[in-house]
Amino acid sequence: MSTAVLDRELQRLEGLWADGLSETYRSYLEEVATHAPDVQPRLALAAALVEVGLRLQGLGSAAAPPAALLMGDLCLARSSRILTDSATRSVQIAFARAVEELSGAAASRVESRPVRELLVRALAAH
Amino acid sequence: MVSGRLRFDSSHPTQFIDITDRLREHVRRAGLVTGRLHLQSLHTTLGLAINENEPLLLRDFQSMLERLAPGDVTYLHDDFSRRIDVALDEPVNGHAHCRQLLVSGFATLLVEEGDLVLGRWQSVFAVELDGPRQRQLALQLDGDFDDLVELELSRQLRADPEPIASPMRRLVEAGGKRMRPRLVQLTAQLGPQYEPLRAASLAAAIEILHNATLVHDDYVDESPYRRGRPTVAAAEGAERAIAVGDYYFAKATRLIAETGNPDVTQTIAAALEAICESQIDDVALRGAFPGDHDSYLRVVRGKTAALFSAACASGAQLSNAGPEVVEALRRYGDLLGVAFQMADDMVDFSPSSGKPVGLDIRQRVLSLPLIYAAEDRQVGPEVRRLLSGSLGDEEVARVAELVTASDALQRVGDEARALVEEAVSELERVELNGLRPTLIGLARSAVDRAS
Repeated sequence: MSTAVLDRELQRLEGLWADGLSETYRSYLEEVATHAPDVQPRLALAAALVEVGLRLQGLGSAAAPPAALLMGDLCLARSSRILTDSATRSVQIAFARAVEELSGAAASRVESRPVRELLVRALAAH
Repeated sequence: MVSGRLRFDSSHPTQFIDITDRLREHVRRAGLVTGRLHLQSLHTTLGLAINENEPLLLRDFQSMLERLAPGDVTYLHDDFSRRIDVALDEPVNGHAHCRQLLVSGFATLLVEEGDLVLGRWQSVFAVELDGPRQRQLALQLDGDFDDLVELELSRQLRADPEPIASPMRRLVEAGGKRMRPRLVQLTAQLGPQYEPLRAASLAAAIEILHNATLVHDDYVDESPYRRGRPTVAAAEGAERAIAVGDYYFAKATRLIAETGNPDVTQTIAAALEAICESQIDDVALRGAFPGDHDSYLRVVRGKTAALFSAACASGAQLSNAGPEVVEALRRYGDLLGVAFQMADDMVDFSPSSGKPVGLDIRQRVLSLPLIYAAEDRQVGPEVRRLLSGSLGDEEVARVAELVTASDALQRVGDEARALVEEAVSELERVELNGLRPTLIGLARSAVDRAS
């Protein structure tokens, strides 16, 4: 991903990038190969932000402290905005449905499918 | 009250244009169940009539108008040598003005069970007397409306799994001012593609999004109550509150994406990002409580005004309003949102609000009256000293007393009202289809409130 795009999309998330977001991002890069080359990095970052954001919040496990929750919220919001800029409507909807499934399961205290599986499916929804 | 314009082109010098079906569609789309539809011609040579749509009868009407105000006789109005301020394109139409006296320029139609009350043979006509021209009628509908947003909110919350839906239902049903959905519903009337049901869906999605942010806020602020009821975090625990917030955050963004309007989606997504960034700033600033005016404005612009602004802009975008209208509304919403938050801050010091006085002080929430009181020459030193220590009932009550004794509330009220007037002035340069008074009234009522 170009430095300019990184600068914009990682504002206020630089600490997270160094703390594992970059690896998660790279792991999603291989899942976006069927998308247009110019949007691949953004879609991979959007998926990584959802995964990291939910982990920060402690969704489905012990609740995160307020500061971590708010950082998780920012990850989800940033991901949502990146998707509106770069993804088809189908992908945007599929991402939202993935989070609905995960949070619905967490609230009901039932096992959900893994985050990564849901997000990879969402990326394929275009 | 819903306002609007009915625009059409006439094609003949004299023409009876049956507008009944279009008016019925307006009533249906507005969700008016019982009430009145007021119509007013915005032209001096366009009338309104209710009569039978029978072609020979319409020719009889035309003949009658011709007999009573013939087109081939002399009218003083057409003697341009004797008139002053005659426009270059002034038509020769004395006969049309005179004919307009014979038909009314306005009408009120009754509405029952969601439809116009018309007799079997009655149709509503716009009567063109000087066509062909582009014409418009002003419409106002008042009475009892289906509350499309409440219906949509209820429908959406019924569809969700129970452990998720019931805490959100309690929060939504507990009330709230519904300012954001109201703004969407109003501004969605400003473009040529106004569809009340789509507007209601967007409005409901924005209200759900707003409530989702509140669920997480209340956990962060450790608030025990919201709208007089235990918060989701207090009633169900932090884990469920986080899940409920996430679920409705995602659901709202999905509903917004499903509108299929990329401008709307981008507007809301940008607002949501601004909200989350400002929440982080808000918490960070608590270390320097009560903060300063610049920090306050920066946080409030994101925390509150961003969604007001997005609600205004996205409603207009949904109906495909022009970019100048969208941008004017975006600025209007931003200023209104800041003013609304200032008014909300003042409510914390009002014993008649129905809420416990001093909740913001206790929770160390950014509040402009506190900032001004802390800057005050007389009460400031004591306010700052109290805020720097632990805040028990006694300290909170004393701070509230000091704020009330200073001119802080007066300053905040003046500032909020000035912002509202600035917001109102943003509306002056754009065409608002008769909605200007409603938007102005809404803005002023947002700051002149007790709760």
